Order: sequence, then structure tokens, then C-alpha cells
Amino acid sequence: MPSWPEKRTYIGSHATRVDAPAKVTGAAKYASDMQPDGCLIGMILRSKWAKAKITKINLDKARKVPGIKVAVLRDGTAERTVRYYGEELAAVAGDSKQACMDALSLIEVEATELPFVVNVEEAREESAPKVWDDAPNVSKPRVKEQGQVDKAFGDCTAVVEGFFTTPVQIHQPLETHGNTISWKDDGVTCWASTQGISSVREGLAGNLQLPQSKVRVISEFMGGGFGSKLGFGVEGGLAAVLSREAKAPVRLMLTRFDESLAVGNRPSTYQKIKLGASADGKLLAYELENYGTAGIGAGGATEGGSGGVEIPAPYIYHVPNTRARQYSVAVDAGSSRAFRAPSHPPASFGMESIMDELAVKLNMDPVELRLKNDPSEVRQREFQLGAERFGWKQKYKKPGSSTGPIKTGVGCAGAQWGGGGRGTKAEAVVNPDGSIEVRCGTQDLGTGTKTVIAVIAADLLGLKPEQITVRIGDTQYPPSGGSGGSTTAASVSPAIYDVCTKALEEVQKQSGIADARGANWAAACKKLGVNPVVVQGEWQKGLSSSGVGGVQFAEVEVDTDTGFVKVKKITCVQDGGLIVSKLTAESQANGGIIMGMGYALYEERVMDKQTGVMLNPNFETYKLPGLADMPEFDVVFLEMPERGVIGIGEPVTIPTAAAIANAVANAIGVRVSSLPITPQKVLAALGKDKLSA
Amino acid sequence: MKPFQYATATSAASARELIGDNGAYLAGGNDLLGLMKEQILNPAILVNVKSLPGFGAIQPGWKVWTLGGGVTIADLEDNAELAKLFPGVQQAAAEVGSRQIRNLATLGGNLSQHSRCWYYRQRDVLCLKKGGDTCYARHGENKYHSLFTGNTCISPLVSNLAVALAALSATAIIQRGTQQLPVSIPELYAKAWDNPTAHNSLQPGDLISQVDIPVQGRRSAYLQVSEKAAFDWALVSCAAAGRIEAGKISHASVVLGAVSPIPYESAAVHRFLEGKTLDEETAGKAADLILEGAHAQAHNGYKVAIVRALVRRTLMQLTA
Repeated sequence: MPSWPEKRTYIGSHATRVDAPAKVTGAAKYASDMQPDGCLIGMILRSKWAKAKITKINLDKARKVPGIKVAVLRDGTAERTVRYYGEELAAVAGDSKQACMDALSLIEVEATELPFVVNVEEAREESAPKVWDDAPNVSKPRVKEQGQVDKAFGDCTAVVEGFFTTPVQIHQPLETHGNTISWKDDGVTCWASTQGISSVREGLAGNLQLPQSKVRVISEFMGGGFGSKLGFGVEGGLAAVLSREAKAPVRLMLTRFDESLAVGNRPSTYQKIKLGASADGKLLAYELENYGTAGIGAGGATEGGSGGVEIPAPYIYHVPNTRARQYSVAVDAGSSRAFRAPSHPPASFGMESIMDELAVKLNMDPVELRLKNDPSEVRQREFQLGAERFGWKQKYKKPGSSTGPIKTGVGCAGAQWGGGGRGTKAEAVVNPDGSIEVRCGTQDLGTGTKTVIAVIAADLLGLKPEQITVRIGDTQYPPSGGSGGSTTAASVSPAIYDVCTKALEEVQKQSGIADARGANWAAACKKLGVNPVVVQGEWQKGLSSSGVGGVQFAEVEVDTDTGFVKVKKITCVQDGGLIVSKLTAESQANGGIIMGMGYALYEERVMDKQTGVMLNPNFETYKLPGLADMPEFDVVFLEMPERGVIGIGEPVTIPTAAAIANAVANAIGVRVSSLPITPQKVLAALGKDKLSA
Repeated sequence: MKPFQYATATSAASARELIGDNGAYLAGGNDLLGLMKEQILNPAILVNVKSLPGFGAIQPGWKVWTLGGGVTIADLEDNAELAKLFPGVQQAAAEVGSRQIRNLATLGGNLSQHSRCWYYRQRDVLCLKKGGDTCYARHGENKYHSLFTGNTCISPLVSNLAVALAALSATAIIQRGTQQLPVSIPELYAKAWDNPTAHNSLQPGDLISQVDIPVQGRRSAYLQVSEKAAFDWALVSCAAAGRIEAGKISHASVVLGAVSPIPYESAAVHRFLEGKTLDEETAGKAADLILEGAHAQAHNGYKVAIVRALVRRTLMQLTA
């Protein structure tokens, strides 16, 4: 069984990102930077209606706009029923963005407006317009039951109930979805902003009925995806057809407006929870009723299958008697997609909120209640370590007990995630001059994959990371999987270990030098003759594993006169096996916390039920955390190198919102049970949202 | 965006000449660009007024300070003398957008910007303010909207500077044709009170050439509450001004922003405060008084609490 080296120089260090200079100087080229010769700009025409039967689309005037080269219908047809505001209808390509916008404004669409519903509560009503003609808006409930729930509630000393809601959250990667596609007779090249170059190749080839051997997908750098960029997408299909028709490369990147409407989101949840315990705080009974919307990808038509409304319940705690009843509700809005730790942040928010309600009722310290009921030994340690670092004992006070209008409070929450590795192949090319190239068909969605590869190769060969040329993000390299589910590091690292070990063996064999590492490397390579050594390697068992916990503590200040919440500090304790790159792992934790803060305090898709449009398809009113909102960060990893590499990109965002919500409740003595926790909701919880004082 | 002509004016006369019937003045361009991109405005010509004589100058004076219409918000934020004499103006400037926006945005642009209502700014919604027949916010998503209005549109004024300058009894000088027309800040917005399509009282071709702040020995302060700590619009803003002698306030003024299509003030509040000892209790009563006549919508009742807090806190800052 292979194992990671005992002596590690760069693995686990704060070694600088190998692509940092390229990123800060702008030398790093993203899909949105690509400018092949003769490249055209592509743009998409979207539905102005929340629901309509489209009968005719006339592209003639658009085609006559100066600078426009081609205009195409989506799937080659005008006739379709659109089910949400922003659904794709047609696309144009031309030599400027302005020409495209002019052309889009001249496309004539004949449509019959149909009744729509964008509000979840309204969509649940019997009389609501149906999103899908042949299926109800509300899916059949999925019911999971164990033990004797009703009897167990009767045995409880303390029972608490609550109704917790979470909004539809949008991924909002800074680089929008899109591709630059060059269609030539001898093959298609696609520079994609993607989390999965192989799945884009499959999608592109299938979509356009091309042999996969003629499609090359490149994504050397990409500006974030968070789960929403795993496939080729409608925008990719349109860009490919535009390029084919125009016989020229086409760059089609979504606008921020487009990005907000049609390329995924995290479903909302509406969780009614009941939890009961014995006097000493042992959980006995739990009941959940949950519904939410994943847009058109929800409801009876899919049985919630693609919707992802369902959450793990009762999340991380052990309760012997549980019943969960969950269903999804279709509305006329863009469909959900996987979103950083799908279904876990809302699960954590609901469960951790009701846990704190129970702690108050039992007059018990919330950390103590968690230690009593958390079956994970690792998370037990994390709660204890986190509480100590955070100063929980000194900071925790009875809810609402701090004096003055600005009140402080603390809260905590836990997480769980899988994040294991899987099949990945890699190739190493060692040149006689000692230079080495490591190739792997994975992609770096910003997490630091290139750095992970470089530090592993450096340690195994006794070199420095900057001596390793890392090549990724190209379907011409040996294949890896999509970057989703926190699997990239655990998939790629063992393959790099394997290929570097084999490369070293081969160099040692051919050179006759017994240990070619480090100081001997150059001399050994010199003996290789003219041809480079080329070796293949693949993912091996024993170097990675899956399954992590993670806890976070939050300290907040709440102005009870204005409802304003300021997060003062977040302490994050995350287990992660062997941390390959400490710098980028910490960066993942920081980013996860920031994203969790957005979920807790600012972010929400706002739909207008009168017109069916989204009201905040921009960064002005779809609010993201900014620098001034940042708290003090304290991130610490519980390292277990013996477990091998485990992904941590997702667990670090799960408990943030729940910890903040608990801290707010601890500060003000009443609970805001709906995310995001805005001044409006804080003041409403305090009963201050009425005209009469 | 529609095609447009572009010209640079070097004098007030050339600006007037170039603007025509359907032109727009270009200074910082922050609001203008957004309006043009969403085709809310389609000007035939943009007239660059950045190099008009005196347009970008802050001129201190014994009796009056003159701020050019083209003074950047960053210049207002950074001017140490102005911060000492008119802290309310400096504080209001410092809360505008981000530093990058403040570096370009101008006083005139801040005062004349359009509504930020998300129905007004939605490209596929024709609301009352854009010439349609429905104020969708009234029956829709109105958490950012007004508590006081004289018409059917409930979108509020969002200019920070309007609020601070109103409290300090500033006068805007409008270039209208060949005239230099002095108008008070309340007059600058009066039309928006009862006309749903108006953002202010400016007529086509009008240019805010300068704003004069009288030096009256009054203290001033400005506070706002937003959803985020910075780079966000005010949910409610409040400016206060007054002379404080032996703990008593005179020449008092309290003005609210983001709760009305105009910088909202109440003569009753000013009368009530005159000659009173300024303490928490008096400030609290002033807050109750200013809320008389407020009308909450389905989702903006919380603004009432913020108004109470900000009126109290802003007034108490005057005593510091």
C-alpha cells in the first residue's frame, strides 16, 4: 500500500500558489479572455415572459444589423412554451457587443402569455397555475421514519418547535458562464469556463453529433463555479451553433443579468421542525416537514428528483425516533443546480437553530447539548477545541442579556461532508535537462489544484514547486473527473503521487543513480540521452479517504434600534486528513465562511409575483458580502495525515449561516428564523416594524 | 444603448447650446451610464461638462461656501476644512457607493440621480415612474420604499447629499437657459412629491452649476443605516443641523432620506426643537413627531424603527 512521505517540505506548507504571478499580472487567460483570430461576440435573446407559448420568432431584422454575422433559434425552432423569465429563445453573433444588443432588440417574438406562478406559497395552492401541464406543482412527499416518533415526544421533558426558511441563493461566480468556441472542419476547440472539461466535451459532441475525438475542451483558468458549471449548458450549445454557422470563432459569455436567471441556484427551504429531549438533554424525538422550490426543476414533474429540495435530517445529531416529510414545489423560475454542499447549509440552519431553542428551554449551554448528542468523535473534539479558541465559556451569556441597544451574542454549528477521491490519470514528462511537466486532465476551479500538484511532485522528487510545470485543464491530457463534491484534491493527489513515484523509478533505472532526488536530479536526468522519460500513473487506494466534520463559532453585534448585524468573529475548526496546501486550504475556508455570511445576512433571489420577473438580477440589489463586512477569521485545521487527502471546499461553508443565526438569537433574545437576517427581519422579530411604538 | 453624439462644453454658454432638446450632461456618468444601458434614457448627445470653469472647485468663504456641480464626492469626503465646518456633508459624502464610485461621481450627479426602485430599473417592467400606469411596488416588493409621498409612486429619493444639504439650508444654482436660478433643496425636489414620473424639479437642459452652503455657525451630522456595512444604499438616512448654545438648540433642522421622494422634513419638528435642551428625551420626541403622517407599506414598516433611531442619534451627535 502506498503512503505519503513522512518528511514533507512543501506538502502541508504555506507555499505560494504556483499561478499567483499569472493571476495578479493578468497573464492567466480565462475563457472570457480568449481572442482567436476573427472572433465574434455572441449574445442570447431571453424570454420577457414568466410563462408564454412562443409561436414565431422573426430573425430577419436582427440579421440585417451592421456587424451581425448570424442569428439562430434555440434548438432550431421558435415553437416552445417558456416557463420562466429569462429562458433562452435565440442567439446572435456579430463583431461587437453593441451590434448584438441592437440585433436582440430587433428580434420579433410572437407569444401568447400564460398564467404563471413564482411564489412558493401561492404555487402550493390548488387553484395556482400549473408550471407543468401534466403534473402537479407539489411533488409527492418523501417520507423517512424510524422509531416511534409520537410515543417518544410523549416521553420528552422539553419539546420545542420552529419554522425556518431559507431563500433561493444564486451562485454568482465572478466569471459568468460561457465559452469561446472555434468550429473548424478538422475539429472544434472550446475554451470553457467549467468545472468539468470532460463533461463539456461529452455535452458538446453529443449536442452537435460530432465524434468526441474532434472536440477539444480547454479550461486552464476559470473564475468560479460553485457547482453551477458542471455541464455544457444551453449557452454552450448556442455558442457552438453560432460558430458553426458563422464559420468563425464565437465568444459567448453571459451577462450578469443572464447569470442571475438561468444557470442555477440553491433551492429554498421552508422547514417546520419539532424536537424533543429528556431533562438531561438527550435527544429523543424529531419531526420535520420541509418544502421548497428548485424552480421549474421541481414539483410533480420531476418528483423533486432534480430539485434537490430534500435536506438531510436531523442532520448531524443522533435522534432515535425521527420522521421527515419533504416535498418540492415547482414555480416559474430558473432551475436549481448543485451549489457548494448541496442541501447541507439549509439543513444545518434548521437543525442548529432548533438545537439552540432546545438548549434555552433546558437551560443548558448549547455546546454541552451538542456534545451530548453528536455521534461523531471528531466533531466532539472540534466543538471542544473551537470553544476553547473562541473563548466560548467567557462569551456565552443568557440570550438577550447584554445591556444597551447594541447587543452581542455567540453561536455555534456543525457540518458533515463526504469529499472522497476517485479515478484520475496523470502523465509525467521528464526531460534530459531536468525539467519536468506533470499533466492531468482535471481543472482548477480556483481552489488551487495546480499548486496541489506542484507541491506533491516537488516533495516526491526533492525539487521546488516552481521547478514543476503543471499542465491541466485540457482534454488532451489524461482524464480526471469533474470538480464537484469536494473531490478534486482527493482524486488528483494520489494520481500525482503515483506518476511521480514511477517517473523517479524510471529516471533512477535509466540513469543508474540509486537516489535521483533533489541534488542528484539534474545529474540523473543528464544521463537520459535525447528522449524524455514519459510515464503514466493513476489514482491509488490508500492515499485519500472521505468523510469530514467541521464546526464554526460566530460572534455578532446586533443594533436593536436599527436591526443591523455585524459579524465580529468566526472561528472555524475543520478536519481534513492530510492538508496538501495549507495556504489554499485556508483560502477555501475563508471563502466558505464569506459565502456562508452572504447566505446568513444578504443574499436572496427576489421574484415579483405580479410580473414574474426577477427584481435583483445584479450586484446592486442581489447583495454579496463586501470587505467592510468581514469579521476576524480564525481558521484551524484538525490534521489527520494518516487518513490521506480529503476535500474540504464544501464543509467550510455549511455551518456559517447557522452559527451566525444562533449568535443573533443569543444577542437579541428572540430568533430570526428566516435567512437572510436583514435589518427588516431583526426589527420585525423585536416587534419594532410597526408604526405605533 | 442607442448611438449618441458626444461633445465637450468649455463654457456655460456652449453647454447650453450643445445640449439641445434631447441631450444629457456628462460629468461622473455613474447614473447616466446605467440609465442608458437599460434604455431608460436615450440621449441624442452627451455634453461633457467636466471642464466648465469653476465646475469642479470647492470655494470656501466667510459667508458662504460654494461647491461646484462637478466637485467629486471624493473631494467632498476628503476636504478637511469642509469636514470641520459642515461635518454632515462630509459624512454623507463618505457613505456614497464605494471609493471608486466616489472618485468619479459628482455632487450634481448625486443630486439629480434617478430613482433606484427595482421596478423602475427592471428592463422589462413598465412602471408608473417610467410612464406606465401601475406602481408595482405598492402591491409588490416594497421593503426599500417610501413612508411619505404625495403621489402613487412610492420610490424614494436616494441622494445622500440632498439630505445633508437640505439640513444646512443650502441653495442650488440652476443654469436654465441664460438664467442662473437659485433654488432651495426642497424646491429642487418639490415636483417629485406629487408627480410620479419626476425624480426632481429639474427641466430638460437644466444644469446644477453649483451649490451654496451658508456659513451659519450650525453644527451638523449625517447617519445612515444600510443592509451592508459599506457600498450599499441607505435604508434610511438622516441629517440634522442646529446651533447649540448652553445645551439648547436653535435653527434646528432634521431631514430624512430614502423614506420619501423628497428630502423629508417637518416644520413641526423644527418648531418643537427650537430653544429646547437637546437631550435623549427631546430627540426621541422629535423622532415621534417626524413620523406623524407616515404610511407604511406591507414590507417597509421596519423603516419606522430606523427613523426613530437615526433622528435620535443624529440629533445627539450635535451635542458631542
